[in-house]
Amino acid sequence: MFGEEKLSTYLNRSKLLSNVDCENKIRVAILGSFTLNGLEETIRVKCGDKKIQCSTYIAGYNQYNQEILDEKSELYKFSSDITFLIIDTRNVLGELFFNPYSISVEDRKQFVKTKSDEIINLAKIFVNKTQSKLILSNFVIPTYSPYEINEAREEFGLQDMVRALNQNIKIELCHDPKIYLHDLNSFVTKFGENNVFDYKQFFYGDVKISLDHIPYLAEEFMGYVKAVLGLNKKCIVLDLDNTLWGGIVGEDGFEGIKLGDDPIGRAYVEFQRHLLALNQRGVILAINSKNNFDDAIEIIRKHPNMILKEDNFASFRINWNDKVVNMKEIAEELNIGLDSIVFFDDDPINRDYMRSAFPQVLTIELSDSSSYSQILKSMNDFQVAKITNEDIKRSKMYLDQRKRTELQKQVGNLEDFLKQLNISAKIKKADQYTIPRISQLTLKTNQFNLTTRRYQEEDIKKFASDDNKIVECAQIKDKFGDNGITGVYIVNKENKQEWLIDTFLLSCRVMGRGIEEALLGQIIERAKMEGIKKVKAQYIKTMKNKPAENFLSDFGFIRNGDIWVFETTKSIKKPEHLVIS
Amino acid sequence: MSKKLFEIISRVMNVSISQINDNSGSESIPEWDSFNLYVLLNEIEKEFNIKFSLEETLEIKNVGDFKKQLEKYGVNLNE
Repeated sequence: MFGEEKLSTYLNRSKLLSNVDCENKIRVAILGSFTLNGLEETIRVKCGDKKIQCSTYIAGYNQYNQEILDEKSELYKFSSDITFLIIDTRNVLGELFFNPYSISVEDRKQFVKTKSDEIINLAKIFVNKTQSKLILSNFVIPTYSPYEINEAREEFGLQDMVRALNQNIKIELCHDPKIYLHDLNSFVTKFGENNVFDYKQFFYGDVKISLDHIPYLAEEFMGYVKAVLGLNKKCIVLDLDNTLWGGIVGEDGFEGIKLGDDPIGRAYVEFQRHLLALNQRGVILAINSKNNFDDAIEIIRKHPNMILKEDNFASFRINWNDKVVNMKEIAEELNIGLDSIVFFDDDPINRDYMRSAFPQVLTIELSDSSSYSQILKSMNDFQVAKITNEDIKRSKMYLDQRKRTELQKQVGNLEDFLKQLNISAKIKKADQYTIPRISQLTLKTNQFNLTTRRYQEEDIKKFASDDNKIVECAQIKDKFGDNGITGVYIVNKENKQEWLIDTFLLSCRVMGRGIEEALLGQIIERAKMEGIKKVKAQYIKTMKNKPAENFLSDFGFIRNGDIWVFETTKSIKKPEHLVIS
Repeated sequence: MSKKLFEIISRVMNVSISQINDNSGSESIPEWDSFNLYVLLNEIEKEFNIKFSLEETLEIKNVGDFKKQLEKYGVNLNE
């Protein structure tokens, strides 16, 4: 995160890594046009810290071209899940890096066009030949020009050339789901070129990212690793006093807390603005605070400088109960795992307590309120492989969910509650609009997931064009709102007698409302209509998919070894409180 | 003697302090390769708040060379 260990610490720790306890695996390849020693070791250690078993392949120094072009190269044999390609501006510009004005404007434009095409082509060749994601770093814009103060007067000058190169690459590659463009230029800007580029290290061993900055670069790269593995955090749970505002409402009162136009108040307003932006992008917010509910909610509802409003929070625990108990309740109410929660609390005792009770919750170290925003911005835990419409609508969905829970409490009886919900499920085929979301759900759904098979967008695309597969998803609505696409199933039409359910999952947001039975029933009905005798399914146990454990047997499937079988002559369960269309 | 220096060498090169002496270098310390030597140089510069020149950097082959260079910069290794 913010503040890094020394590179030597990572180098030493990399020798002691054991893969015991790892829950995930990833294969990482690194291709660079310059020395990136230490990066691989640091990434492995950082993966180990997140219980990811990481295998790496480092291409030979400046061998990226040959490795990508040669189908038989070690790179392809290694078969990575994720591949980082970093090419330095100097390598691309060659002599022009020093004297760009030795050739005419037209020649400079032509040069940039040729180089852009080369790199775009290389990236496309690579992703066509592998299953790997490609993370292509952009080019760092030089801060020096021999024309100095007159650089800006030059048409298509040195800096323009590099900007154009970056822009051409972005335009061509930004829509490819297998390619991510890493903003190396912003990385260098963030830390400063004079710090990141050290002439002595460069002359000594062609080091272009100084040893001190390798751990920071590795941390940025971890954002991609986590996103590809679907390990993103979903929810930020916040304390209130001295976390969302300065001071203690119970002591300082409505007028006394600091939130607004004073130095301390500004820090909290800024923090709230960043939280709001994350919330609007799909990160859920919740509150876990020891306070009198009435005092605290009055601030949230009425304080003029409160940026986050009541409706931005999906769950409230403002009470005098144990914070750990509150945390557990929040996770249950939102139906998310504790390991997808980040906890912000200014009190070190609360943090220690949370860490010891729930090490899987990411509890953030906080000190000075002026650093809260920077800490939040430096986190790479909320990254998702792709931001979908569902992400943007998520906050509203959780708000609807809170209202549903309130209704359920009022109604009391589950059956009556379900009837009152007016649930409808709309089945949609996998197409260009739904494929990103289908892939996203397979990557991140842990609880109600029969097989937990993770599929990238291109996998789903391939399945969707296969006549022997059914790839569909369900959009779930009820009287409180649209839950969006929250169910996915993939069925293999194995032969004229049998279908096999490869994937069947439901987002935790809509679990336990009979939707799972309705969707499965609908698959079996279809199988029956097509003359299929047996529908087979699997339950592959993971650490997290207990909620789906008894689903197949409860539905009437019969176990036969590892496979569960449903004979289509049997009667099929059909929940009556919902409509499928 | 030279406690701080030896501690850094021990940490970076992954050897115990008792195994380090002035002649220690690539022959006696398995981890002492050109990259780790560079990591070591970098961390020593940071710890003692000095900057070796590129020439000085290239002259350093063993622990004794580090001591010589550090003394040149006025670092008191007996502290």
